[in-house]
Amino acid sequence: MNMIETRNLTKTYGDFTAVSHLNMHIQKRRVYGFLGPNGAGKSTTMKMFLGLTRPTEGQFYIDGKTYPKDRMSILKEIGSFIESPAFYGNLTGEENLEIIQKLLGLPKGSVSDALELVGLGPFRKRLAKKYSLGMKQRLGLAGALIGHPPILLLDEPTNGLDPAGIHEIRTLIRSLPRQYDCTVLVSSHLLPEVELMADDIGILNHGRLLFEGTLDDLKASARNAGFPTDNLEDTFLAMIDADNQRGGR
Amino acid sequence: MSFLSLTTVELKKIRRSWIMLILLIPVVIMWIPSVIYGDMNFDTRGIPITPENNFFIQGFMGMVWFMIPATLVIGTVLLTQTERSNNGILKMLSLPVSTAKLCLTKFMVLILLSFVQMVMTVAAYYICAAIASSMLDYNFFLEPLYVFRVALSIYAGAIPTAAVFWMIAILIHTPVFAAGIGLASIVPSVLLINTKIWFAYPMSYPFYLLMVEYGRCADGIYTSEIDWLPWLPTAVLITVLALGIACIRFGSVQKR
Amino acid sequence: MTLSLEIKKLKRTGYFPAFIGAGFIASAFPVINMLARAQTFTALSGDPLTILMDANWQMMAMINILICVCGSCIMYHTEYADNGLQKMDVLPVRSGALFITKFVITALILAIIIVMETAVLAGCALHWFPGRGLSLWELLKTAGFQWLITLPTVMMMLVIASAWKNMWISLGIGVILVFALSILPQDLLILNLCPFSSPYQTYAMAVQNDRVSLFLILCPVETPGLGLLEMFYQKIRRCVQ
Repeated sequence: MNMIETRNLTKTYGDFTAVSHLNMHIQKRRVYGFLGPNGAGKSTTMKMFLGLTRPTEGQFYIDGKTYPKDRMSILKEIGSFIESPAFYGNLTGEENLEIIQKLLGLPKGSVSDALELVGLGPFRKRLAKKYSLGMKQRLGLAGALIGHPPILLLDEPTNGLDPAGIHEIRTLIRSLPRQYDCTVLVSSHLLPEVELMADDIGILNHGRLLFEGTLDDLKASARNAGFPTDNLEDTFLAMIDADNQRGGR
Repeated sequence: MSFLSLTTVELKKIRRSWIMLILLIPVVIMWIPSVIYGDMNFDTRGIPITPENNFFIQGFMGMVWFMIPATLVIGTVLLTQTERSNNGILKMLSLPVSTAKLCLTKFMVLILLSFVQMVMTVAAYYICAAIASSMLDYNFFLEPLYVFRVALSIYAGAIPTAAVFWMIAILIHTPVFAAGIGLASIVPSVLLINTKIWFAYPMSYPFYLLMVEYGRCADGIYTSEIDWLPWLPTAVLITVLALGIACIRFGSVQKR
Repeated sequence: MTLSLEIKKLKRTGYFPAFIGAGFIASAFPVINMLARAQTFTALSGDPLTILMDANWQMMAMINILICVCGSCIMYHTEYADNGLQKMDVLPVRSGALFITKFVITALILAIIIVMETAVLAGCALHWFPGRGLSLWELLKTAGFQWLITLPTVMMMLVIASAWKNMWISLGIGVILVFALSILPQDLLILNLCPFSSPYQTYAMAVQNDRVSLFLILCPVETPGLGLLEMFYQKIRRCVQ
């Protein structure tokens, strides 16, 4: 069953097309890796799912619901982490989460729960503006994970983390579907990273979906198209490059 | 999500923002000279007013014409900036809260801040009246009931003003512009207060209410009756319209 | 070179339109005032420019001060918002020069709007007080005087704006100062000479009280004096950060 599905989803800003006729299928209880170079339209797509920006054309369904009709009930199911972390600098990490906890109507314990989950426990009383980049990133993740929502949208969650942090977060994301029975859409511009986290992959370039399927599907289709397959990074680069040559722009 | 708990969330957001200090400073600046120049209250320059009423009215004068609207403007800047500076608004919009409700609770916080200032002002008035009374050996105290009634009416009169400023802060995305336009709009109220169209200019409401009070204490200075009829419906209309526009436009810049 | 760079930084911040807009708003006061109650003023005897200044300058000066407050905040907000100033600090430019350039820009744009306002006042004088005489020399002296006595305010506000990263604190302080010095009794000379208060003085008033030379000496001293405060502050900031 598809948790998130889009039909010809398109977003244009003036004469610039950020997302073009996207048909995505994200299955329940799986991690979907959303891959693409910077500016491919990953964030825009996620923003549309959250109602932060209005689609120019097409529709999407999240758990059978659609925007803008069911905006509120969609948002109730999604935990999100979009672009640069969004927080209130004058508040501590804990207070930032308390705001989200209250607005979502979650029990009080969920705050410390989320803080522990991302490893911010020892820094809960520090002002968010004093956080390091990695800690801000973790705070953003905690804001998404709080209350264990059935759907998670994570936009480049490992940006700014150190190798140990990347590994830790990756393992966490990997474990989420089993642990909390949720569906994860995670974006990245690094294929090796997606490879380690995702069950399914969608590759986006210049707003168009170049590929969608499992890792094995990707290897198979790359082999058919004559792309190198021994190293997935090369596969990805070759696909993007070929698309750019074709005049994807 | 109830309105009340949303408001407590909004109040939490402005922690450590020094807003209380910003509210307090003008109150202090306002009342210190009135103590220092306390004896000037006896020189009424031919205006038939008692020194204690003079003390009260003069002290509130600067407050109503400039400082109440100006603190409202600063308050709106504070409220929009806390959301925008670290993109907190983006998180808010992706949570299941109605944007209109969010917008209205923020307005509530603005009003709340303004009422905190009112309490400070009244407290400052009594402290200063006590000091002036002992210094000049004259009883400057007015009845608490009267003081509270006047202060409350002035701050209630500032609600439409706040609504308009809030709308400006939301419509104009650059905070400095929003503030600049807000502040500039305060200046002409001193002119408009003496014209027939004062009721259409919300920035002059607090000033008008104090002037009416002045008129009641001192014959012939100003009208002693509030012109409810063109005013009340206009004020309500302006408030509803401003808040309506604010709620519709709230967060829409992020939602391009 | 820094001047053109600083002007470039202000692109799309709305800084210049804001000043011109404020100039228009301030210029509207005498026109609206005359349209609404010309009789009150034309009945007065004396120099038309003086009458118009007496009737309107308080509000016009307030608008000028407010735009200086907002303008300074815009200038430093663009520096602080995305850490531009941090970048400037690691480039081989003297931060003092940066500050002075900002002052020069503000002083220049202020001169433009004051000329604009004086021109409108002159227009009002010619239109509503025909045949009552208007000397160009008086006009120039007035504009120059009003500009000069506003400069300490410009300098002080820039110092304030540079001192706080959070724009609304600077804005709050600026607004409170505007307010505080506008309500203090105007008959105290020492207060008249303070920044945020001196711009309310009109040339005619200063002539009448024989204070023109006092203002002409003190304001140009005050301005760099306040500038020194900024240099001092920058020294401290470098030690603290």
